[in-house]
Amino acid sequence: MIKAGQIDKGTALLIKGQPFIVVDREFVNPGKGSAFVRVRLKSPATGQTLRETFKTQDNVEDITVDDRDCQYLYNDGDNFHFMLTETFEQIEIPMATFEDYQFIMKEGETYRVTFWEHQPLDIQIPTKVIFDVAEAEEAIKGDTVTGATKNVTTETGLVVRVPIFIKQGERILVNTETKEYIERVNK
Amino acid sequence: MNVKAIEQRSELMRAMRNWFAENEYLEVSTPIIATNLIPEPTIANFSTQYLSEFYASRELYLIPSPEIHMKPIIAATKRSIYQIIPCFRNREQIGSYHNPEFTMLEYYTVGADDTDSIAITEELIAKTALKGTPEHALPPFKKMSVAEACQLYGGFDLDKTQTSSALRAQAQRLGLHVPFEVESWEATFNRIFLNFVEPNLPQEKPLILFDYPQQIVCLAKKHPRRPYRRRWELYAGGIELANCYDEEQDKEIVKDYYREQYAILVANRSQTGEVIPDIDFAFANIFDEEFPQCSGVAMGIDRLLMLQGNYKTIGDLILFNLSGSITDGN
Repeated sequence: MIKAGQIDKGTALLIKGQPFIVVDREFVNPGKGSAFVRVRLKSPATGQTLRETFKTQDNVEDITVDDRDCQYLYNDGDNFHFMLTETFEQIEIPMATFEDYQFIMKEGETYRVTFWEHQPLDIQIPTKVIFDVAEAEEAIKGDTVTGATKNVTTETGLVVRVPIFIKQGERILVNTETKEYIERVNK
Repeated sequence: MNVKAIEQRSELMRAMRNWFAENEYLEVSTPIIATNLIPEPTIANFSTQYLSEFYASRELYLIPSPEIHMKPIIAATKRSIYQIIPCFRNREQIGSYHNPEFTMLEYYTVGADDTDSIAITEELIAKTALKGTPEHALPPFKKMSVAEACQLYGGFDLDKTQTSSALRAQAQRLGLHVPFEVESWEATFNRIFLNFVEPNLPQEKPLILFDYPQQIVCLAKKHPRRPYRRRWELYAGGIELANCYDEEQDKEIVKDYYREQYAILVANRSQTGEVIPDIDFAFANIFDEEFPQCSGVAMGIDRLLMLQGNYKTIGDLILFNLSGSITDGN
Protein backbone atom coordinates (compact mmCIF):
# COMPACT_ATOMS: atom_id res chain seq x y z
CA MET A 1 0.00 0.00 0.00
CA ILE A 2 1.13 3.53 -0.71
CA LYS A 3 -0.51 6.89 -0.16
CA ALA A 4 -2.14 8.25 -3.31
CA GLY A 5 0.02 11.36 -2.95
CA GLN A 6 3.08 9.21 -3.70
CA ILE A 7 1.74 8.06 -7.07
CA ASP A 8 3.98 9.07 -9.96
CA LYS A 9 4.04 8.48 -13.69
CA GLY A 10 4.93 4.85 -14.21
CA THR A 11 3.62 3.68 -10.81
CA ALA A 12 1.87 0.30 -11.14
CA LEU A 13 -1.40 -0.06 -9.23
CA LEU A 14 -3.89 -2.83 -8.72
CA ILE A 15 -7.39 -1.49 -9.36
CA LYS A 16 -10.24 -3.96 -8.80
CA GLY A 17 -7.76 -6.80 -9.16
CA GLN A 18 -6.35 -5.58 -12.49
CA PRO A 19 -2.87 -4.11 -12.98
CA PHE A 20 -2.73 -0.56 -14.31
CA ILE A 21 0.16 1.76 -15.09
CA VAL A 22 -0.12 5.45 -14.23
CA VAL A 23 0.43 7.43 -17.43
CA ASP A 24 -0.37 10.85 -16.04
CA ARG A 25 -0.99 12.39 -12.65
CA GLU A 26 -1.99 15.84 -11.58
CA PHE A 27 -2.56 17.26 -8.13
CA VAL A 28 -5.82 19.12 -7.76
CA ASN A 29 -7.14 21.26 -4.96
CA PRO A 30 -10.84 21.71 -5.41
CA GLY A 31 -11.67 25.32 -4.43
CA LYS A 32 -11.10 25.57 -0.69
CA GLY A 33 -10.74 21.80 -0.41
CA SER A 34 -7.97 19.45 0.59
CA ALA A 35 -5.52 17.93 -1.86
CA PHE A 36 -6.52 15.27 -4.35
CA VAL A 37 -4.56 13.55 -7.05
CA ARG A 38 -6.12 12.87 -10.43
CA VAL A 39 -4.51 9.98 -12.28
CA ARG A 40 -4.87 8.53 -15.74
CA LEU A 41 -4.17 4.82 -15.83
CA LYS A 42 -3.70 2.36 -18.64
CA SER A 43 -4.31 -1.37 -18.56
CA PRO A 44 -1.42 -3.08 -20.32
CA ALA A 45 -3.62 -6.10 -20.99
CA THR A 46 -6.39 -4.31 -22.84
CA GLY A 47 -5.13 -0.79 -23.48
CA GLN A 48 -8.19 0.50 -21.63
CA THR A 49 -7.63 3.85 -19.97
CA LEU A 50 -9.16 4.86 -16.69
CA ARG A 51 -9.37 8.11 -14.75
CA GLU A 52 -9.44 8.04 -10.98
CA THR A 53 -9.23 10.82 -8.44
CA PHE A 54 -7.98 9.98 -4.97
CA LYS A 55 -7.47 12.00 -1.83
CA THR A 56 -3.71 12.26 -1.40
CA GLN A 57 -4.10 10.53 1.98
CA ASP A 58 -6.01 7.53 0.53
CA ASN A 59 -4.27 4.18 0.54
CA VAL A 60 -3.87 2.64 -2.89
CA GLU A 61 -2.61 -0.82 -3.70
CA ASP A 62 0.68 -0.67 -5.56
CA ILE A 63 2.31 -3.73 -7.08
CA THR A 64 5.93 -4.66 -7.21
CA VAL A 65 7.27 -4.62 -10.71
CA ASP A 66 10.67 -5.19 -12.20
CA ASP A 67 12.31 -3.87 -15.32
CA ARG A 68 14.05 -6.19 -17.76
CA ASP A 69 16.02 -5.50 -20.93
CA CYS A 70 14.16 -6.67 -24.02
CA GLN A 71 15.23 -6.49 -27.63
CA TYR A 72 12.52 -5.37 -30.03
CA LEU A 73 12.40 -7.82 -32.95
CA TYR A 74 9.42 -6.94 -35.15
CA ASN A 75 5.65 -6.52 -35.15
CA ASP A 76 3.14 -8.71 -36.94
CA GLY A 77 0.38 -6.11 -37.06
CA ASP A 78 -1.21 -7.31 -33.83
CA ASN A 79 1.70 -7.87 -31.48
CA PHE A 80 5.15 -6.56 -30.81
CA HIS A 81 7.67 -9.38 -30.56
CA PHE A 82 10.44 -8.94 -28.02
CA MET A 83 13.26 -11.12 -26.76
CA LEU A 84 14.43 -10.98 -23.15
CA THR A 85 18.14 -10.37 -23.53
CA GLU A 86 18.97 -12.34 -20.38
CA THR A 87 17.06 -15.54 -21.13
CA PHE A 88 16.48 -15.27 -24.92
CA GLU A 89 12.82 -15.99 -24.15
CA GLN A 90 10.46 -14.42 -26.68
CA ILE A 91 7.37 -12.49 -25.62
CA GLU A 92 4.47 -10.77 -27.36
CA ILE A 93 2.92 -7.46 -26.32
CA PRO A 94 -0.38 -6.35 -27.90
CA MET A 95 0.19 -3.35 -30.19
CA ALA A 96 -3.21 -1.88 -29.29
CA THR A 97 -1.92 -1.19 -25.79
CA PHE A 98 0.91 0.98 -27.04
CA GLU A 99 -0.55 3.13 -29.73
CA ASP A 100 2.03 4.69 -32.07
CA TYR A 101 4.90 2.68 -30.59
CA GLN A 102 5.48 0.93 -33.93
CA PHE A 103 6.54 4.33 -35.28
CA ILE A 104 8.99 5.11 -32.51
CA MET A 105 10.61 1.77 -31.64
CA LYS A 106 13.55 0.62 -33.72
CA GLU A 107 13.93 -3.02 -34.66
CA GLY A 108 16.96 -4.56 -32.99
CA GLU A 109 17.07 -1.90 -30.28
CA THR A 110 16.90 -2.86 -26.60
CA TYR A 111 14.23 -1.30 -24.35
CA ARG A 112 13.44 -1.58 -20.65
CA VAL A 113 10.16 -3.43 -20.23
CA THR A 114 8.29 -3.36 -16.91
CA PHE A 115 6.96 -6.72 -15.75
CA TRP A 116 4.51 -7.66 -13.03
CA GLU A 117 5.11 -11.31 -12.33
CA HIS A 118 5.24 -12.57 -15.93
CA GLN A 119 3.02 -9.95 -17.45
CA PRO A 120 4.68 -7.12 -19.39
CA LEU A 121 3.07 -3.87 -18.23
CA ASP A 122 5.02 -1.09 -19.85
CA ILE A 123 7.62 -0.41 -22.54
CA GLN A 124 9.89 2.45 -21.56
CA ILE A 125 10.79 4.76 -24.42
CA PRO A 126 13.32 7.54 -23.82
CA THR A 127 11.68 10.96 -24.06
CA LYS A 128 14.22 12.11 -26.63
CA VAL A 129 15.27 9.80 -29.46
CA ILE A 130 17.50 10.36 -32.50
CA PHE A 131 15.94 9.22 -35.78
CA ASP A 132 17.24 9.03 -39.35
CA VAL A 133 15.27 11.00 -41.89
CA ALA A 134 14.24 8.33 -44.40
CA GLU A 135 12.07 10.52 -46.59
CA ALA A 136 11.87 14.27 -46.83
CA GLU A 137 9.70 16.51 -48.99
CA GLU A 138 11.71 18.88 -51.16
CA ALA A 139 11.60 22.39 -49.77
CA ILE A 140 9.79 24.71 -52.14
CA LYS A 141 12.28 27.02 -53.83
CA GLY A 142 12.12 30.60 -52.69
CA ASP A 143 10.24 29.68 -49.54
CA THR A 144 12.39 31.57 -47.09
CA VAL A 145 9.73 32.54 -44.58
CA THR A 146 11.16 32.13 -41.08
CA GLY A 147 9.60 29.23 -39.27
CA ALA A 148 8.47 27.48 -42.47
CA THR A 149 8.11 23.74 -41.92
CA LYS A 150 7.57 20.52 -43.86
CA ASN A 151 6.96 16.84 -43.09
CA VAL A 152 9.65 14.16 -43.00
CA THR A 153 9.33 10.44 -42.31
CA THR A 154 11.79 8.64 -40.05
CA GLU A 155 13.22 5.15 -40.61
CA THR A 156 10.54 3.90 -38.20
CA GLY A 157 7.73 5.51 -40.18
CA LEU A 158 7.07 8.40 -37.83
CA VAL A 159 5.97 11.60 -39.57
CA VAL A 160 7.51 14.69 -37.98
CA ARG A 161 7.06 18.37 -38.75
CA VAL A 162 10.53 19.89 -39.17
CA PRO A 163 12.16 23.11 -40.41
CA ILE A 164 12.61 23.15 -44.18
CA PHE A 165 16.41 22.86 -44.03
CA ILE A 166 16.26 19.21 -42.88
CA LYS A 167 17.25 16.83 -45.70
CA GLN A 168 16.88 13.13 -46.35
CA GLY A 169 19.68 11.15 -44.67
CA GLU A 170 20.15 13.65 -41.85
CA ARG A 171 19.46 12.82 -38.24
CA ILE A 172 16.98 14.60 -35.98
CA LEU A 173 16.21 14.57 -32.27
CA VAL A 174 12.48 14.06 -31.55
CA ASN A 175 10.39 14.24 -28.38
CA THR A 176 8.66 10.85 -28.35
CA GLU A 177 5.83 12.03 -26.11
CA THR A 178 4.73 14.95 -28.25
CA LYS A 179 6.25 13.60 -31.49
CA GLU A 180 7.72 17.04 -32.00
CA TYR A 181 11.04 17.92 -33.61
CA ILE A 182 13.68 19.22 -31.17
CA GLU A 183 16.84 19.76 -33.21
CA ARG A 184 19.09 18.54 -36.02
CA VAL A 185 21.83 16.19 -34.86
CA ASN A 186 25.23 16.81 -36.40
CA LYS A 187 27.04 13.75 -37.57
CA MET B 1 11.83 32.85 -23.84
CA ASN B 2 8.45 33.42 -25.40
CA VAL B 3 8.47 37.02 -26.60
CA LYS B 4 4.88 36.84 -27.82
CA ALA B 5 3.68 35.78 -24.37
CA ILE B 6 5.56 38.69 -22.80
CA GLU B 7 3.82 41.10 -25.17
CA GLN B 8 0.42 39.50 -24.65
CA ARG B 9 0.72 39.75 -20.88
CA SER B 10 1.58 43.43 -21.16
CA GLU B 11 -1.37 44.03 -23.48
CA LEU B 12 -3.85 42.20 -21.23
CA MET B 13 -2.63 43.97 -18.06
CA ARG B 14 -2.92 47.35 -19.75
CA ALA B 15 -6.45 46.60 -20.98
CA MET B 16 -7.49 45.43 -17.52
CA ARG B 17 -6.02 48.47 -15.76
CA ASN B 18 -7.86 50.72 -18.23
CA TRP B 19 -11.12 48.87 -17.65
CA PHE B 20 -10.85 49.12 -13.88
CA ALA B 21 -9.96 52.82 -14.10
CA GLU B 22 -12.96 53.51 -16.35
CA ASN B 23 -15.18 51.73 -13.86
CA GLU B 24 -13.81 53.71 -10.93
CA TYR B 25 -11.98 50.99 -9.10
CA LEU B 26 -9.01 52.13 -7.05
CA GLU B 27 -5.82 50.23 -7.83
CA VAL B 28 -4.06 49.32 -4.59
CA SER B 29 -0.61 47.94 -3.80
CA THR B 30 -0.18 45.75 -0.76
CA PRO B 31 2.77 43.72 0.55
CA ILE B 32 3.74 40.27 -0.63
CA ILE B 33 5.37 39.52 2.71
CA ALA B 34 2.85 39.39 5.55
CA THR B 35 3.16 39.20 9.32
CA ASN B 36 -0.03 37.14 9.57
CA LEU B 37 -2.40 35.28 7.25
CA ILE B 38 -6.07 34.30 7.15
CA PRO B 39 -6.20 30.68 8.39
CA GLU B 40 -6.83 28.40 5.39
CA PRO B 41 -6.00 24.81 6.32
CA THR B 42 -5.95 23.58 2.71
CA ILE B 43 -3.43 26.13 1.42
CA ALA B 44 0.18 25.35 2.33
CA ASN B 45 2.28 28.45 2.99
CA PHE B 46 5.76 29.70 2.32
CA SER B 47 7.58 31.31 5.20
CA THR B 48 10.66 33.48 5.35
CA GLN B 49 12.75 34.98 8.12
CA TYR B 50 13.33 38.60 9.02
CA LEU B 51 16.76 38.99 10.61
CA SER B 52 17.90 42.05 12.51
CA GLU B 53 20.62 43.28 14.85
CA PHE B 54 18.13 45.56 16.56
CA TYR B 55 14.85 43.67 16.87
CA ALA B 56 13.84 40.13 17.56
CA SER B 57 14.02 38.04 14.40
CA ARG B 58 10.69 36.72 13.25
CA GLU B 59 8.97 34.49 10.77
CA LEU B 60 7.07 36.18 7.94
CA TYR B 61 4.87 34.70 5.23
CA LEU B 62 4.44 35.03 1.49
CA ILE B 63 0.79 35.81 0.78
CA PRO B 64 -1.40 33.06 -0.74
CA SER B 65 -3.84 35.84 -1.71
CA PRO B 66 -3.95 39.59 -1.02
CA GLU B 67 -7.31 39.34 0.81
CA ILE B 68 -5.74 39.89 4.26
CA HIS B 69 -4.51 43.31 3.16
CA MET B 70 -7.29 44.33 0.79
CA LYS B 71 -10.26 44.00 3.14
CA PRO B 72 -8.88 46.60 5.60
CA ILE B 73 -8.52 48.95 2.62
CA ILE B 74 -12.22 48.45 1.79
CA ALA B 75 -13.03 49.22 5.44
CA ALA B 76 -11.00 52.43 5.23
CA THR B 77 -12.02 53.67 1.76
CA LYS B 78 -15.51 52.11 1.30
CA ARG B 79 -14.56 51.96 -2.37
CA SER B 80 -14.26 49.26 -5.01
CA ILE B 81 -10.62 48.23 -5.30
CA TYR B 82 -8.44 45.90 -7.34
CA GLN B 83 -4.92 44.64 -7.47
CA ILE B 84 -2.70 42.47 -9.70
CA ILE B 85 -0.16 40.78 -7.47
CA PRO B 86 2.05 37.68 -7.20
CA CYS B 87 0.71 35.03 -4.81
CA PHE B 88 2.40 31.97 -3.37
CA ARG B 89 1.06 28.54 -2.54
CA ASN B 90 3.32 25.82 -1.32
CA ARG B 91 2.89 22.14 -2.19
CA GLU B 92 1.43 23.10 -5.56
CA GLN B 93 2.40 20.87 -8.39
CA ILE B 94 4.59 22.46 -11.01
CA GLY B 95 2.52 21.54 -14.00
CA SER B 96 0.19 22.56 -16.79
CA TYR B 97 -2.10 24.64 -14.58
CA HIS B 98 -0.07 25.17 -11.42
CA ASN B 99 3.01 27.01 -10.30
CA PRO B 100 3.88 27.80 -6.66
CA GLU B 101 4.13 31.49 -7.60
CA PHE B 102 1.42 32.91 -9.81
CA THR B 103 -0.26 36.21 -10.62
CA MET B 104 -3.62 36.96 -9.09
CA LEU B 105 -6.11 39.60 -10.11
CA GLU B 106 -8.31 40.35 -7.13
CA TYR B 107 -11.18 42.84 -7.31
CA TYR B 108 -13.80 43.80 -4.77
CA THR B 109 -16.92 45.63 -5.87
CA VAL B 110 -18.65 47.67 -3.21
CA GLY B 111 -22.46 47.49 -3.23
CA ALA B 112 -22.37 44.30 -5.32
CA ASP B 113 -23.20 40.70 -4.45
CA ASP B 114 -22.05 37.45 -6.07
CA THR B 115 -24.73 37.69 -8.80
CA ASP B 116 -23.62 41.21 -9.74
CA SER B 117 -20.04 39.94 -9.89
CA ILE B 118 -21.01 37.56 -12.71
CA ALA B 119 -22.07 40.45 -14.95
CA ILE B 120 -19.03 42.49 -13.90
CA THR B 121 -16.67 39.64 -14.73
CA GLU B 122 -18.37 39.00 -18.08
CA GLU B 123 -17.93 42.63 -19.02
CA LEU B 124 -14.31 42.71 -17.80
CA ILE B 125 -13.40 39.69 -19.94
CA ALA B 126 -15.41 40.86 -22.95
CA LYS B 127 -13.73 44.27 -22.93
CA THR B 128 -10.16 43.17 -22.26
CA ALA B 129 -9.75 39.80 -24.02
CA LEU B 130 -6.77 39.46 -26.34
CA LYS B 131 -7.39 39.33 -30.07
CA GLY B 132 -7.83 35.74 -31.14
CA THR B 133 -9.25 34.54 -27.81
CA PRO B 134 -11.12 31.31 -28.53
CA GLU B 135 -14.92 31.16 -28.05
CA HIS B 136 -14.63 28.81 -25.09
CA ALA B 137 -12.91 31.59 -23.13
CA LEU B 138 -15.30 34.41 -24.08
CA PRO B 139 -18.62 35.60 -22.55
CA PRO B 140 -21.54 35.09 -22.31
CA PHE B 141 -20.98 32.60 -19.49
CA LYS B 142 -23.18 29.57 -18.95
CA LYS B 143 -24.54 29.27 -15.43
CA MET B 144 -25.26 26.18 -13.40
CA SER B 145 -25.69 25.61 -9.68
CA VAL B 146 -23.61 22.98 -7.92
CA ALA B 147 -26.87 21.17 -7.06
CA GLU B 148 -27.90 21.11 -10.75
CA ALA B 149 -24.48 19.76 -11.70
CA CYS B 150 -24.73 17.01 -9.05
CA GLN B 151 -28.16 16.03 -10.39
CA LEU B 152 -26.98 16.07 -13.99
CA TYR B 153 -23.63 14.28 -13.65
CA GLY B 154 -24.02 12.39 -10.38
CA GLY B 155 -27.72 11.60 -10.53
CA PHE B 156 -28.55 12.70 -6.99
CA ASP B 157 -30.36 15.52 -5.20
CA LEU B 158 -27.83 17.54 -3.23
CA ASP B 159 -30.57 19.27 -1.20
CA LYS B 160 -31.52 15.86 0.19
CA THR B 161 -27.98 14.63 0.67
CA GLN B 162 -26.97 16.80 3.57
CA THR B 163 -25.75 14.14 6.00
CA SER B 164 -22.39 12.40 5.72
CA SER B 165 -24.06 8.99 5.61
CA ALA B 166 -26.46 9.99 2.80
CA LEU B 167 -23.61 11.40 0.74
CA ARG B 168 -21.45 8.40 1.42
CA ALA B 169 -24.24 6.17 0.12
CA GLN B 170 -24.31 8.20 -3.12
CA ALA B 171 -20.54 7.93 -3.50
CA GLN B 172 -20.77 4.17 -3.12
CA ARG B 173 -23.67 3.94 -5.55
CA LEU B 174 -21.46 5.75 -8.08
CA GLY B 175 -18.80 3.10 -7.57
CA LEU B 176 -16.35 5.27 -5.65
CA HIS B 177 -14.14 3.67 -3.11
CA VAL B 178 -14.77 5.50 0.16
CA PRO B 179 -12.34 4.68 2.96
CA PHE B 180 -13.64 2.71 5.89
CA GLU B 181 -12.86 5.47 8.37
CA VAL B 182 -15.50 8.15 8.72
CA GLU B 183 -14.63 11.20 6.65
CA SER B 184 -16.08 14.67 6.51
CA TRP B 185 -19.05 15.51 4.30
CA GLU B 186 -16.78 17.88 2.42
CA ALA B 187 -14.19 15.18 1.65
CA THR B 188 -16.84 12.81 0.25
CA PHE B 189 -18.39 15.66 -1.71
CA ASN B 190 -15.03 16.44 -3.29
CA ARG B 191 -14.57 12.79 -4.26
CA ILE B 192 -17.86 12.85 -6.15
CA PHE B 193 -17.23 16.33 -7.52
CA LEU B 194 -13.77 15.57 -8.87
CA ASN B 195 -14.65 12.16 -10.31
CA PHE B 196 -18.08 12.80 -11.80
CA VAL B 197 -18.96 16.48 -11.88
CA GLU B 198 -15.90 18.54 -12.78
CA PRO B 199 -14.69 16.33 -15.68
CA ASN B 200 -18.16 16.51 -17.27
CA LEU B 201 -18.83 20.23 -17.01
CA PRO B 202 -19.65 21.80 -20.39
CA GLN B 203 -16.63 23.49 -21.97
CA GLU B 204 -17.93 25.18 -25.09
CA LYS B 205 -18.39 28.43 -23.14
CA PRO B 206 -17.06 29.58 -19.75
CA LEU B 207 -19.21 28.23 -16.93
CA ILE B 208 -20.23 29.84 -13.66
CA LEU B 209 -20.78 27.10 -11.09
CA PHE B 210 -22.66 28.78 -8.24
CA ASP B 211 -24.06 28.10 -4.77
CA TYR B 212 -21.40 25.93 -3.18
CA PRO B 213 -22.34 23.65 -0.28
CA GLN B 214 -22.31 25.41 3.09
CA GLN B 215 -20.22 22.54 4.48
CA ILE B 216 -17.25 23.88 2.51
CA VAL B 217 -16.31 26.53 5.01
CA CYS B 218 -15.09 29.87 3.67
CA LEU B 219 -15.66 33.58 4.10
CA ALA B 220 -18.66 33.66 1.72
CA LYS B 221 -22.10 34.40 3.17
CA LYS B 222 -24.50 31.54 3.77
CA HIS B 223 -27.85 31.54 2.04
CA PRO B 224 -30.52 32.44 4.60
CA ARG B 225 -32.67 29.38 3.93
CA ARG B 226 -30.85 26.90 1.71
CA PRO B 227 -27.74 24.82 2.59
CA TYR B 228 -25.42 26.76 0.27
CA ARG B 229 -23.02 29.66 0.27
CA ARG B 230 -23.05 32.69 -1.98
CA ARG B 231 -19.95 31.70 -3.83
CA TRP B 232 -19.16 30.81 -7.45
CA GLU B 233 -16.28 29.46 -9.42
CA LEU B 234 -15.64 30.29 -13.06
CA TYR B 235 -14.47 27.40 -15.23
CA ALA B 236 -13.11 27.91 -18.72
CA GLY B 237 -11.71 25.20 -20.94
CA GLY B 238 -12.29 22.80 -18.03
CA ILE B 239 -10.03 24.63 -15.61
CA GLU B 240 -10.81 26.81 -12.59
CA LEU B 241 -10.18 30.39 -13.51
CA ALA B 242 -11.79 32.49 -10.78
CA ASN B 243 -13.52 32.28 -7.45
CA CYS B 244 -16.10 34.75 -6.13
CA TYR B 245 -17.74 35.38 -2.76
CA ASP B 246 -20.48 37.52 -1.47
CA GLU B 247 -18.10 38.56 1.29
CA GLU B 248 -18.99 37.70 4.86
CA GLN B 249 -19.17 40.89 6.91
CA ASP B 250 -20.57 39.63 10.19
CA LYS B 251 -17.79 40.16 12.73
CA GLU B 252 -18.88 37.23 14.93
CA ILE B 253 -18.98 34.79 12.01
CA VAL B 254 -15.51 35.87 10.89
CA LYS B 255 -14.23 35.43 14.47
CA ASP B 256 -15.70 31.91 14.61
CA TYR B 257 -14.17 31.13 11.22
CA TYR B 258 -10.76 32.24 12.49
CA ARG B 259 -11.01 30.15 15.67
CA GLU B 260 -12.27 26.97 13.96
CA GLN B 261 -10.08 27.08 10.87
CA TYR B 262 -6.96 27.95 12.84
CA ALA B 263 -7.58 24.98 15.16
CA ILE B 264 -7.88 22.67 12.12
CA LEU B 265 -4.79 24.19 10.51
CA VAL B 266 -2.70 23.75 13.67
CA ALA B 267 -3.94 20.18 14.21
CA ASN B 268 -3.09 19.18 10.61
CA ARG B 269 0.28 20.89 10.39
CA SER B 270 1.61 19.97 13.85
CA GLN B 271 1.81 16.41 12.55
CA THR B 272 3.60 17.23 9.33
CA GLY B 273 5.86 20.02 10.54
CA GLU B 274 4.51 22.40 7.90
CA VAL B 275 4.50 26.18 8.30
CA ILE B 276 1.87 27.37 10.79
CA PRO B 277 1.38 31.05 10.04
CA ASP B 278 0.66 33.64 12.70
CA ILE B 279 -2.96 34.73 12.86
CA ASP B 280 -4.31 38.09 13.90
CA PHE B 281 -7.60 37.45 15.64
CA ALA B 282 -8.30 41.20 15.61
CA PHE B 283 -8.74 41.02 11.80
CA ALA B 284 -12.49 40.48 12.33
CA ASN B 285 -12.78 43.90 13.95
CA ILE B 286 -12.69 45.63 10.54
CA PHE B 287 -16.21 44.27 9.98
CA ASP B 288 -18.09 46.96 11.85
CA GLU B 289 -21.52 48.39 10.90
CA GLU B 290 -19.93 50.62 8.32
CA PHE B 291 -18.16 47.88 6.41
CA PRO B 292 -19.88 47.98 3.01
CA GLN B 293 -21.68 45.12 1.27
CA CYS B 294 -19.19 43.83 -1.29
CA SER B 295 -18.33 40.92 -3.55
CA GLY B 296 -14.77 39.84 -4.29
CA VAL B 297 -13.36 37.90 -7.24
CA ALA B 298 -9.91 36.30 -7.40
CA MET B 299 -8.76 35.34 -10.89
CA GLY B 300 -5.64 33.47 -11.99
CA ILE B 301 -4.05 35.72 -14.59
CA ASP B 302 -1.58 33.12 -15.88
CA ARG B 303 -4.43 30.72 -16.58
CA LEU B 304 -6.46 33.48 -18.21
CA LEU B 305 -3.53 34.33 -20.47
CA MET B 306 -3.03 30.65 -21.25
CA LEU B 307 -6.67 30.34 -22.36
CA GLN B 308 -6.78 33.58 -24.31
CA GLY B 309 -3.45 33.01 -26.02
CA ASN B 310 -4.16 29.33 -26.73
CA TYR B 311 -1.15 28.06 -24.77
CA LYS B 312 -1.05 24.45 -23.62
CA THR B 313 0.46 25.08 -20.20
CA ILE B 314 1.04 28.06 -17.92
CA GLY B 315 4.71 27.10 -18.05
CA ASP B 316 4.71 28.52 -21.60
CA LEU B 317 4.08 32.01 -20.28
CA ILE B 318 5.39 32.16 -16.71
CA LEU B 319 8.92 33.47 -17.17
CA PHE B 320 11.71 31.76 -15.23
CA ASN B 321 9.19 29.19 -14.02
CA LEU B 322 10.41 26.47 -11.72
CA SER B 323 9.77 23.49 -13.99
CA GLY B 324 13.02 22.10 -15.27
CA SER B 325 14.99 23.28 -12.27
CA ILE B 326 12.77 21.30 -9.90
CA THR B 327 10.95 18.73 -12.02
CA ASP B 328 10.89 17.34 -15.50
CA GLY B 329 7.83 19.51 -15.98
CA ASN B 330 5.20 16.82 -15.70
